[in-house]
Amino acid sequence: MSTQRKNRRGVLSLLLLSPFLMAVLVPFLWMVLGMFKTNAEFFQPLAKAFFPANYDWKNVADLLGGEWVAFWNVFGNSLGVSLGQALGAVALSAAAGYAFARFTFSGKRLLFVLAVALILVPRQLFAVPLFSWVNALGLSDSLLGVMLPGVVTGLGVIYFTQVFRQIPGEYFQAARVCGATEMRVFLTVLPLVWPALLSYGMIHFILAWHEHLVPMLVLTSETKQTLPLALAKLYDVSQRTPQGVQMAASTFAVIPTAVLFALCHRKFKSSLSEMLAH
Amino acid sequence: MATADQRTPGTRWTPFLFLLPFLFFLLLFWLIPLVGGVKMSLQANGLGQAEYVGLAHYKALANDERYFTALRNSYVYTLASIVVIVPLALWLAHLLRATFRRLRPVLTFALLLPALTPPSVLAVLFLMVFHGRNGLLNQLFVMPLGLEPVNWLKDPDFILSGLVLQTVWRWTGFMTFFILAGMEGIPRVYYEAARLATGSRWRQFWHVTLPQLRPVLLFVAVYLVVDGFSLFSGAFVLLGGAGGTADAGLLAITYVYQKSRFFEYGTAAAISVSLLPLMLLLLWGCLFLRRRTA
Repeated sequence: MSTQRKNRRGVLSLLLLSPFLMAVLVPFLWMVLGMFKTNAEFFQPLAKAFFPANYDWKNVADLLGGEWVAFWNVFGNSLGVSLGQALGAVALSAAAGYAFARFTFSGKRLLFVLAVALILVPRQLFAVPLFSWVNALGLSDSLLGVMLPGVVTGLGVIYFTQVFRQIPGEYFQAARVCGATEMRVFLTVLPLVWPALLSYGMIHFILAWHEHLVPMLVLTSETKQTLPLALAKLYDVSQRTPQGVQMAASTFAVIPTAVLFALCHRKFKSSLSEMLAH
Repeated sequence: MATADQRTPGTRWTPFLFLLPFLFFLLLFWLIPLVGGVKMSLQANGLGQAEYVGLAHYKALANDERYFTALRNSYVYTLASIVVIVPLALWLAHLLRATFRRLRPVLTFALLLPALTPPSVLAVLFLMVFHGRNGLLNQLFVMPLGLEPVNWLKDPDFILSGLVLQTVWRWTGFMTFFILAGMEGIPRVYYEAARLATGSRWRQFWHVTLPQLRPVLLFVAVYLVVDGFSLFSGAFVLLGGAGGTADAGLLAITYVYQKSRFFEYGTAAAISVSLLPLMLLLLWGCLFLRRRTA
């Protein structure tokens, strides 16, 4: 294709994409700008006051200073739960995926069906029995009670099964000739698939960061809230939280996942492309 | 399988060594609650009550009009979201591939932003999009067309469309990303072969791209079905757990939530269990498609 034609095609597709980009970005822009607005400004029609009259950081300072919620405490809880869940999920599913990809054993098909069933019937569908079971285990109102149920994932197992299938058999053979134990072989293979480990960890972190229903049931005390719960409290009309503070909290809730994805998304995409090409 | 002989069988127990942690947590935090849910659906309402009532909750559901409204809404919502999102995401992925290479990651990221946003934040963003007369949707689209502003969250004729719009806005970019990754994984030779056989771009898309994307599209569809039927956040984002005027936006999972809120745990569990046959059917479908692809 000639350069000129290629350029024309590029510009045309950009034009066609722009309404979709606008539809996505305008609400986010409104959210970020909302941080600086007073309540009076906030409720004016959009056309009149889309941009704030002046960029006042008071709302942000109030939020971070803990005036409305113990922000850093809540943020730390969310970070801890999500990181723990992501690490746990990567470890469990990488090991299980490795077993599925490399060994033949009786009951393999049944277990694989179970992993797919796990995707189709997420634990949120049975949130109440899960909650009463978590209580019975003595994990009520603890961050562990939110984190542990989240480490089991069908999507992860199937993803890692595909990932480990791509590793050529010769590689394992070489390791075996060297007399490595099965655990050793697994550990030497892991660095080969680190983009996949990172990618899945990221996806799982995002899912955990968003989780609302299970934490809402399990966590009750003030100091153990996660971010979605704190946000719900801030948004509650009876709290009379200024709109600007709500927008600041919303913005801060998006930042970690957005930054994480921005950092990893190339690796993730190429890992996916590679997987699908096989 | 060509590589079967290269895979070490190990000892008989080796694979289970790797599977053990996963299976342990699967049992503990999935299978036990699942069985607990089935058991709960056979017990009287309220937590910790052991009195069995047999199939009473299911019989009550069979006569419950709201239950059928909720089921119907869930089907419409899920099917509509798949029907809109899949073609749209295919098209957007195509456009992204046609734009300048350097811009592609930034644009993909921008489109994907809604999927990275916690549902509770989306709830606030949507207030501004769907809000009565001043909402973006009315200001930018409905009123410029000379139509009366729509009350998206109150008018029963529009609530379900609002829900679908919400899920389209939330997931299209995410699915575009997966489709794009899938497209980039298709070997060039396939296209070259197709170009020799037929000149038309459309036929290339139909005979090369689409069949190659089958695993991705399957993933997309499954994700949307699970999200539509079993995850609460979609409905929560827009209606906060209410069913909307005349239950027009009541989804099955919203109904589960409502019943649980009033401590009717038995009924809530029965609704959850009643969704399982559908999921089993889907499970069978996935495995069937997988075998055909393999």
